[in-house]
Amino acid sequence: MKLTLTSVYRPHCFPTLLNSSSFISLCRPFCTSALSSVPTGVKPQVPLFLRPPIYSTKLCDLKKWHDWAKGLAFSVGSTFLHSDNGPDSSLLCRELKWLMEDAVVGHHSLGVKDDGRVEMRVDMEELYCLWRQRILERRPFQYVVGCEHWRDFVLSVQEGVLIPRPETELVVDFVSGVVSENEDLKKGAWADLGTGSGALAIGIGGVLASGGGRVIATDLSPVAVAVAAYNVQRYCLQDNIELREGSWFEPLKDMEGRLAGLVSNPPYIPSKDISGLQAEVGRHEPRVSLDGGIDGMDALLHLCDGAALMLKPGGFFAFETNGKQQCRALVDYMENNRSGSFCNLEIRADFAGIQRFVIGFHQ
Amino acid sequence: MAHMFLFKPTLSLSLRLNKTSISLPHRSFRHSHPPFPFLSSTHPISLPSASDSNNRTHIRCSSNHTSTAVEGSEKSFVHLTDVELMRQCEMDTFKASGPGGQHRNKRESAVRIKHLPTGVIAQASEDRSQHKNRASALNRLRSLIALKVRKTVDLEAYSPPRELLQILPPKSSIRGSDCGPQIGPNNPKFALGMQALLDLFFAVEGSVSEAAKYLGLSTGALSRIILSDDSLRKEVNNLRASKGMKPLK
Ligand SMILES: C[S@@+](CC[C@H](N)C(=O)[O-])C[C@H]1O[C@@H](n2cnc3c(N)ncnc32)[C@H](O)[C@@H]1O
Repeated sequence: MKLTLTSVYRPHCFPTLLNSSSFISLCRPFCTSALSSVPTGVKPQVPLFLRPPIYSTKLCDLKKWHDWAKGLAFSVGSTFLHSDNGPDSSLLCRELKWLMEDAVVGHHSLGVKDDGRVEMRVDMEELYCLWRQRILERRPFQYVVGCEHWRDFVLSVQEGVLIPRPETELVVDFVSGVVSENEDLKKGAWADLGTGSGALAIGIGGVLASGGGRVIATDLSPVAVAVAAYNVQRYCLQDNIELREGSWFEPLKDMEGRLAGLVSNPPYIPSKDISGLQAEVGRHEPRVSLDGGIDGMDALLHLCDGAALMLKPGGFFAFETNGKQQCRALVDYMENNRSGSFCNLEIRADFAGIQRFVIGFHQ
Repeated sequence: MAHMFLFKPTLSLSLRLNKTSISLPHRSFRHSHPPFPFLSSTHPISLPSASDSNNRTHIRCSSNHTSTAVEGSEKSFVHLTDVELMRQCEMDTFKASGPGGQHRNKRESAVRIKHLPTGVIAQASEDRSQHKNRASALNRLRSLIALKVRKTVDLEAYSPPRELLQILPPKSSIRGSDCGPQIGPNNPKFALGMQALLDLFFAVEGSVSEAAKYLGLSTGALSRIILSDDSLRKEVNNLRASKGMKPLK
């Protein structure tokens, strides 16, 4: 597979060749914002806030749009909240403000003079269209603006790629804690399986960068691989992070027994729960990134088996799960079916107090 | 819904295979923002109401006009590391309705941290990422504690701590030359000096001339330090008001 990425933003970040066994990315600085890919047809989109401000509009027209958009947000009330725990008006108004920040250059306060013009990164027609999609189709806000703020990063996301969740931010802290006490792990090769937008790989890549460690990030989805590559390059981590397309451990055959660490936030929602998900999630995010099979454990168990094979002695792993039940089941599995493979198993809670992660070491 | 979080100082992974421990997250926070800009408003800002989406910087302190006295022997809270400080805190994040994780797409990124020993509360919700809101809330908490939490000072044996000497002008007669250049309100270390200065002020019951004596300064020079920082001035004036004294202007 060959992918070509170009971007208009931070051209100095794009000078090097990213080389891997299954993925080659050529970067041409100073090009237009068009991102072309050959031959998979996967085209990473440029997030709204990075698009060139080539549109201009009268402030009063922007104000008109804003009033309309606010009205639409208020008409929602708490109907989404009650139907599927979706956003209510106040959350939507907050998103509206963020949309303005991304779309309008130098986020104008709408209070100033009406006859002025503002520079925009989208035209008015598209702005109407975007907000209609947000409210009427429940298109996730992050897909509307093409990015998500995650830890210190702003990651590009688009349809076909899971929007990284705040809970997952903690996995980077686990890794950072472990490598701060172990130079050997800091220098080693890590893997992020099912990398999606590349969030975990980028967070961990940043932690490892100073010690010379690297991350191999894999995903089955070519869209995810393309978007992750785009994000990796935006943060100039292409020397530390290598992307490989394929199913779980398949692209990692060369790393057997050699991984210093392994992290994953695999799909873990039980299949029967998919239909009841919040519309933003269930209708818009890729099923392959959510559906974990009958009990949601398919990928997690597979990852456990693989971890025993791929990690070197003393290697660290962290998995995100659906909650307490899966954490317990995973630990049971590791103790009973893989006894002798792992040690120092721990269940960690997320910031809402839900037991969310299983972490531990290879014997 | 409130949840209590206790933070482990270090990531200790020393459990036996057949015993799985459950522990809460280890976090490290980065100080990426100067600590004071959010304190520059003249009134304490209240928590956001659900309908108020415009005001994205919110702080509240549970003890706005009174100060909490804490045993003088205790290690100053402001000196604690981020992790140590978080261990003493309770944190509310997004409402834990539903299972979270992959199930959920909601941008409720407000973070509220309550420091249990003092009851001081700081909140941050201006950023789009939870991560940054948590870090800013902790920074705010630190500054609020510096402003609100008083240590008792023994005036008989008083000698100003180094962090206080550092915010004094070089002309102070008790400030040695080894203190380095004067630290101003824009320096994050100012909070420590400010806390020690407020401790002294409380001990002398708000009298600028008394405090100035202990610091080897003229009354005018000390007033200038107090007026150089809005939050410090406000705190001193709150104290003076409670003693029936005129505010410094
Ligand atoms: C829940 S998402 C996590 C994405 C990202 N790591 C994050 O935390 O935001 C799960 C990811 O696993 C990927 N995935 C699903 N099945 C896979 C497989 N068989 N092999 C590799 N990746 C897979 C999906 O494409 C998706 O990107």
